[in-house]
Amino acid sequence: MQTGRAGGCRMIEMTIHGRGGQGGVTLAKLIATAAFLRGRFAQAFGVYAAERSGAPLQAFIRIDDEEITNHNQVREPDHVIVLDRTLIAPSVASNLKPDGWLILNASSPPEALASMFPGRRVAAVDATSIALAHSLGTRTVPIVNTTMFGAVLKVLNEPWEAVEAALADLKFSGGNLKAAREAYERVRGAELPGERAVIQTKPAPATPPDLLDEDLGRPSPIRTGSWATRRPHRRNLLSPCSGACPAGNDIQGFVQAVAAGRSDEALAILLETTPLPGVCGRVCPAPCMEACNRSLFDEPIQIRDLERYAADHGRRPSPTPPWRDERVAVIGSGPAGLGAAYHLALLGYEATIFEGGDELGGLLRTGIPAYRLPPEVLDSEIDYIVQHGVKVQTRCFIDRTRLLALTREFEAVFVATGLQQIRSLELGSLRPGVVEEGIDFLDRVRQGEVSLRGLRVVVIGGGNTAMDAARSALRVGARSVRVLYRRSRAEMPAIREEIEEAIEEGIQLEELVAPLHLRHVGDEVLLTCRRMMLGPPDESGRRTPVPVETEDSDFDVVCDRVILALGQSADLSILPEGAEIRDSERLLGLSGAPVFLGGDFATNDGTVAAAIGSGRRAAWHIHRTLTGEDLFPRGERPVAGYERMHMHIFTHAPARRTPHLPATRRRRTFEEVRLGLDSTSGVQPAVQEAGRCMSCGVCNQCDRCVTYCPEGILRRNGDGYNFDYDYCKGCGVCASECPRGVIYMAEL
Amino acid sequence: MPRVLVTGNQAAGRTLAMAGEANRTARGCCAGAYPITPQTEIIEYLSAHSFSKGRVVPVESEHSAMGVCIGASLAGARSFTASSANGLSYMTENVFAAGYYRLPIVLLAVNRTLGPPWNIWVDQGDSLALRDAAWMQFYTDSHQDLVDTILLAFRVAEDRRILLPALVALDGFVISHTQMVVDLPTQEQVDAYLPPCHVPHRLHTGRPMTFGGLTWPRETAHMRHEIQEAMLRVPEVLTEAIDEFEKLFGRRPVGALETCETTDASTIMVACNTMARTLRNLVKHRRERGERLGMIRVKLFRPFPRQEMRDATATAQRVGVLDRNHSPGSGGIFWQEVAASLRGRSDLLLQDYVVGLGGGDVTEDCLSGIADDLSSRSAEAEPVWEEVAL
Repeated sequence: MQTGRAGGCRMIEMTIHGRGGQGGVTLAKLIATAAFLRGRFAQAFGVYAAERSGAPLQAFIRIDDEEITNHNQVREPDHVIVLDRTLIAPSVASNLKPDGWLILNASSPPEALASMFPGRRVAAVDATSIALAHSLGTRTVPIVNTTMFGAVLKVLNEPWEAVEAALADLKFSGGNLKAAREAYERVRGAELPGERAVIQTKPAPATPPDLLDEDLGRPSPIRTGSWATRRPHRRNLLSPCSGACPAGNDIQGFVQAVAAGRSDEALAILLETTPLPGVCGRVCPAPCMEACNRSLFDEPIQIRDLERYAADHGRRPSPTPPWRDERVAVIGSGPAGLGAAYHLALLGYEATIFEGGDELGGLLRTGIPAYRLPPEVLDSEIDYIVQHGVKVQTRCFIDRTRLLALTREFEAVFVATGLQQIRSLELGSLRPGVVEEGIDFLDRVRQGEVSLRGLRVVVIGGGNTAMDAARSALRVGARSVRVLYRRSRAEMPAIREEIEEAIEEGIQLEELVAPLHLRHVGDEVLLTCRRMMLGPPDESGRRTPVPVETEDSDFDVVCDRVILALGQSADLSILPEGAEIRDSERLLGLSGAPVFLGGDFATNDGTVAAAIGSGRRAAWHIHRTLTGEDLFPRGERPVAGYERMHMHIFTHAPARRTPHLPATRRRRTFEEVRLGLDSTSGVQPAVQEAGRCMSCGVCNQCDRCVTYCPEGILRRNGDGYNFDYDYCKGCGVCASECPRGVIYMAEL
Repeated sequence: MPRVLVTGNQAAGRTLAMAGEANRTARGCCAGAYPITPQTEIIEYLSAHSFSKGRVVPVESEHSAMGVCIGASLAGARSFTASSANGLSYMTENVFAAGYYRLPIVLLAVNRTLGPPWNIWVDQGDSLALRDAAWMQFYTDSHQDLVDTILLAFRVAEDRRILLPALVALDGFVISHTQMVVDLPTQEQVDAYLPPCHVPHRLHTGRPMTFGGLTWPRETAHMRHEIQEAMLRVPEVLTEAIDEFEKLFGRRPVGALETCETTDASTIMVACNTMARTLRNLVKHRRERGERLGMIRVKLFRPFPRQEMRDATATAQRVGVLDRNHSPGSGGIFWQEVAASLRGRSDLLLQDYVVGLGGGDVTEDCLSGIADDLSSRSAEAEPVWEEVAL
């Protein structure tokens, strides 16, 4: 093609390579304007197609002393300008004339580009830094046109006044003018050594497909992925429920399995972290439900009831016997001890449980009434644990001497004896049988030894033991039951539903009341109490009760029995002298096998779930100590909080709740109060309730991203998805349409 | 006369605005405005413009944009608008109405390929689809030709002997979005060139009339024939307008046809718009090699200047027509017109080339290949499809 003419001043042609948003077309106009203002003919135009930020574009300039009649794109430029670092490649010089300048926005000096552009005249300036220093554009797409304009005119030997005049003509000033000046002064050109490379021009594109071709599905020959300034990626987050579970259960996973009607799979997921889903599905305070994102939308998923459902409906896999030689002693058979023994068995160790009482279960058996946890549920889950080759020694109390002996008989020892020391209260000397500890009372009730027919019972305390004692007292015939608590109901540590159910059953709750002393008046017992009020918060964050100092702040309560439920603490007498507790989970300073601590004994977390989690961690600690293999997960996944969810995609749906035994019937029976989601209409309510789960932060293959991808470059691949980055423009629709925050955009 | 560096759209917008403003002493001006790529910049410019007497009416579609022009023109205002591609298609019903109403509206058609498939680049098929709408059609090849032709279009359209609307076409992007140096007229020059717009059949409360009502076949045929007679008067009126233009501006715009090296040419190639500029460069280079190649740019497509075409090709044995448009089942649309003009020339080889559809960048090399094909051809054939890589 003819671009010059014989005689006269030769036409100058230039090509600009840039990305949409960087101002490439305006740069072309600036260069043309500079020539026009000096009385020359000029032409400037861009190749418009994808009018979109980040898409590669070209702009062209022609300058001549005569009228310009060529309207074609520039094929053999006299100079080439590149605005974006990512576009600097040998191909930009492919048709550049031999003595033409390559004027680049580059952070390195021209000499550093010798291998890419041998034998070329290259000028470079760090226009991105200059533009950003003058607040031109954004970090993703800095607007470098005015900056590069200064550099271009300097390289073309134009005076600074030409830059100023063109900028003023197009009404650029301030930062644009300063940036152009800086580039005008800082741009450096060099003739690079070496022999000019012959760049292979691209082969002619293949004939486009016919419209009616059957394989029309092939992607466009334009690899639009190069337009992207950001790309979508997938990563599963931690669901808030799972993050909140002290046992470490994969709650999102098991609930989704229930929703899909796969209760065996749901149970298998639970059994990876807990041997006691039937127990937790009944007695867990369910911090997962408090964390559930759905609670901010309508109502939380009824996770506890779903866990019970999975435990009751799923088939347990066959237990495997131990295959390792190492043996581990587990002291205590509460949830921590059971959890440790189970996980040790799963890891191949032979665990031996030492229990002081007659049966396994610890407080699960003695401290939780049957109307909350039927003993056969506990028995069946303990049976399953024991079937893994766990050895059991009941009525075997371990003291510090025996503990030292165990450290020589076993390869590791785990101590989870719970809270054996009962916190009590001296209320004055009385005849025996009036005051009883709640833990003892519950154990006697369990054994069928108690009748409180016609008696007025006062329970002191606000925890689960207080609630259990009060409701049990009602069931063994008490005429009235009053619970006295020194703070208000909001501070009670008992599970909220237990308090509600107790009140439904007729228990009277007296808040902000502290007992002072007991006395006999005739046959009656008078408990003198004092009204309290809430003061400033204590270390636990709960407000401290302080006495009300008025004349009528004390009052008497007439009663026949007083049950104390003030909490327990660990009995540290089992620990040998010289032993040192480290990280609350490991005992140091002993010569025998390593000793680990767990459950309430070590942490006092007070929930079954926390004890199970503690037992599992102990098993992993022991395994790491014995084999060096580390099973603890690495790196924490971020939690998929409400703000990461795209809630506009979900619709409101009320929770399916478990039916309860009517309150009037409950008062006379230890039958289970909560009947379970499966008690009325089979599996349907549980599956529906699980179907409300939003699978926060975890892909459940809903395919919404595929449906909404405007480019059709997102494809399902088994359980995952493939993004075709050759064609993905980074529009972000998939990320904004992912209901659960799994897809996110990352800047390139 | 100010010399500026502007895009084709900016040049068109400024010229339209001056033409509208020039009617401030009469019934003012009016434009219906609706955007579409690549003409949007014209409408933006007009919308931002403040007229002494007149206004731009933003509407919800191209159909209504032309409706506004029809209403305003029927009220005697100088009326104009702009559109492209599918916008023109949507406007079509009212485009015909404007023609049959004999309203001197000026419509800028920034040529763009009709979709689907979606394509924003140049192709004259969108405005050529309106060829039977009783509008004059001008095809311009440069910024300067565009500016000058807009003024000519108003002048001819509003001439009492014509009273037909005029469409002025320009290449999308190649002209519309390209910065070029152009001499714009001043408002005083436009005031002097365009007399007050007088629509003799405008609506008037003192003279109630019905327009567009039912007519019998004989009246309808009569009105159509009047339009045909008005069309036949266009070349004469256009020449007068050019003469006046030259007196005022000191340069002479191209009329119906532009010819280059045709007087002794044995081979002539015909084109329009910017492709004709490229063709002119080819002719120049081939002439330097001694080849008797000439070129014709068709600027006036309606009415089609048949006699001028016959005269310009008198010496030629071969004529090739370059069409950046296509009528499926027939061929290039300019070729059909050229063939109709040259009917009876049994000594002539006439060949059509469909080239640059969808905005292909037709280079001089590409036209050179076509010139070689034309001169080596032994017989006419069906239209040849030339593929352009970019």
